[in-house]
Parts: sequence; C-alpha cells; structure tokens
Amino acid sequence: MIAVLGLVVGVVVGLLVRPEVPAVVEPYLPIAVVAALDAVFGGLRAMLDGIFVDKVFVVSFLSNVVVAALIVFLGDKLGVGAQLSTGVVVVLGIRIFSNAAAIRRHVFRAWGR
Amino acid sequence: MSNEQNPSGEQNHHRHARPGGALPPEAPAPAPPPAARPEGTSGRQRLRAGLWPPRVSRAQLIVALLLFVLGLGLAIQVRSNSDNSALRGARQEDLVRILDELDNRTQRLEDEKQRLDDQRTELENSSDQAEEARKQTREKERQLGILAGTVAAHGPGITLTISDPTGAVEADMLLDTIQELRAAGAEAIQINGVRVVADTYFSGDGGELGVDGRKIEAPYEFKVIGKPQDLEPALNIPGGVVQTLEKEQATAEVTRAEDIVVDALRPAERPDYARSSSQ
Repeated sequence: MIAVLGLVVGVVVGLLVRPEVPAVVEPYLPIAVVAALDAVFGGLRAMLDGIFVDKVFVVSFLSNVVVAALIVFLGDKLGVGAQLSTGVVVVLGIRIFSNAAAIRRHVFRAWGR
Repeated sequence: MSNEQNPSGEQNHHRHARPGGALPPEAPAPAPPPAARPEGTSGRQRLRAGLWPPRVSRAQLIVALLLFVLGLGLAIQVRSNSDNSALRGARQEDLVRILDELDNRTQRLEDEKQRLDDQRTELENSSDQAEEARKQTREKERQLGILAGTVAAHGPGITLTISDPTGAVEADMLLDTIQELRAAGAEAIQINGVRVVADTYFSGDGGELGVDGRKIEAPYEFKVIGKPQDLEPALNIPGGVVQTLEKEQATAEVTRAEDIVVDALRPAERPDYARSSSQ
C-alpha cells in the first residue's frame, strides 16, 4: 500500500514541482524509466509468486536503470544511440509483457476459483 | 507428505543425537511456515494482503522510495515530452541534423527572397522606364501638336495687324509675311482665326483672300508666338514686309506682347499613304 502511495506521490510531485533535469541525464531518463518499470513488474510478479525479497528488488531496480542508461550512453558514444535505445526498449518491453502475463495469470486464476 | 516426513526424519536423527525430551520444543518448528503461508497461498490473496492493511515495514518503505523515484521520472519525462517541443529530448545527432535542415531551409528562403527582390527592382525599374517613356511621348505629342496645329499654344510673341483699306494686299504678300515670320523663328501662327501650319496655302487676290480655303477679310491680324526681339526687327527691316505693305498703301502695325494665345485649331489628319517608318 505504501509502495503504491509512493508511486502516486512521485507522479504528483513530478507534475506539480516540475523539477529541472540536468541536461546530461536527460537523454537517459526515458530509458531509465522503462528499465525501472521492468524492475517494478518483475517485483510485482515476485510478490505474487511469494518469492519477493526487498534487497533483490532494490538491486534489480538500480542495476536495471544503470545498465539501461549505460547501454544508451555507450550507444551514443558509438554513434548507434538511436538504434541501441530502441533495442533496449524492445527487450524491456518483452520482459514487461511476460511479467505482466505472469501477473495476470496469478490474479485471474485466483478470481477464477 | 514428504514435507512432514522430513522433519520427522530429522527428529529421529536428533533423537539419536540427543536422546531426551526434545520432542515438545521441536514440534512447533514446522508450524511457523504454515503460519506464514495461510495468508498467501494464492497470488491474489498475497496481493490483497500486501495492499490493504498498510504496514510500515522496511521492505514497503524501500519499495515506496523506488516507486517514488519511478513516478517522478515518469512524470518528468511525460511532462517534458508533451510540454516542450520535440527538441528537448532529442539527441545530439538529431539536433545537428535538424539544425542543418533549418540552415538549408534558411538558405533556400534567402535565395528566394533575393530573387524576388531582384525581380521587384527590375519591375519597378521597367515601370519607371515605361512611365518616363510615356512622359516623353506626351511631351513630344504636345510639341508636335503645336507644330501641326492640333493643340492651342500660348507664349510671348507679337501681333501684326495689317489694315488694307484699298484691297491692295495680295496673297503672295501674306505668304511672304509668313515666310519672314518663320525665318525669324515663329513657332505658332494664326491669321484671323485660321491656324497656319505646314500645308497652309493662300489664295485669292485684291481683298478677296483666303487661307486654306477660308475667306479672311481685312484687317488681317497675325498672332505669332516666338521671340519678340527677333520677330519685330524681321518685319521692320528695310525692304521687308512692313515697308513693302506700306508701299501698297496698306498699314502694318506690330505690337509685342508677353502672352499671345494661339487657339485656332486644326483637326489632326491621318495621312492616307505615308506611314511612320520609325516603328
């Protein structure tokens, strides 16, 4: 519950305060957000599976964000930034979908019974 | 079943290791897992359990913090994407490309502007030239009109009045007068309301004179535009027009005037055969 509240508060603060993002971080923000979403879906699935461990979640969240940003950064340096970030988004999207499918299976099977 | 067998096996093992009343304390050991499990055998129940009674635990707080960061990033990104133009999130190479395109476009538009400016200048010039040509044409038309007698004229000049009580003035005398005046630089002449032009002719004799077929009667009044200082002496020179007329008992009187109006007109005639070869 508190976690959901955290998400809501984050969105509201982001919309209201409109913080200035440093220009260096700006290109990596969208990818980082997608990576974080992936981590969150993974965490949700783990929770439904009953194997949720907060440490694992923290590590996967942070490492997801960092690795995604790193890949985009590397891509920018190599001159294939656009393609590489597309690739990262595709991979993360696939993972999000598979996690969402697992979550759905949990929730709806429960309802089915 | 195997789950329950294992602990019993362990208990047996323990019993071997530590014989004694070890059973009662170890019996609850399997109990905690079932105690933790019953709430969340299914995912949905676990979800509900996690959602509703809001418990402040370390895990919840950490997850809340991370989700807060996620929400923040999400909101910022959505906002910056929808608020500002697409330029804000664009990467460097895209920006360079966009800048290049804009530069090219600016260049093209500048070129076009230059071209249109040139065209405008050209058109203005040509219209100026056309206006100038039209002005010159009008001016020329006026000048030629004065010569051809199609427009009225005024200017300094003289009035020559010939009174002829005896009817002695002949047509050739009038013609001589005209020649003399022309030689002295007369620019527009009319006699008794008849404009004198290039093809003017005199006819008749003895007081029955005609100019261009129109009868005129004495006194003959010449209105002449030209330089008075030239015209008057030209008529008065010894042996000239005035003396010749006076010899015939006609009197000629010359009067200078600052403004002579020659307003007798002649219709412009279109030549039947002659055509301008200049155009």
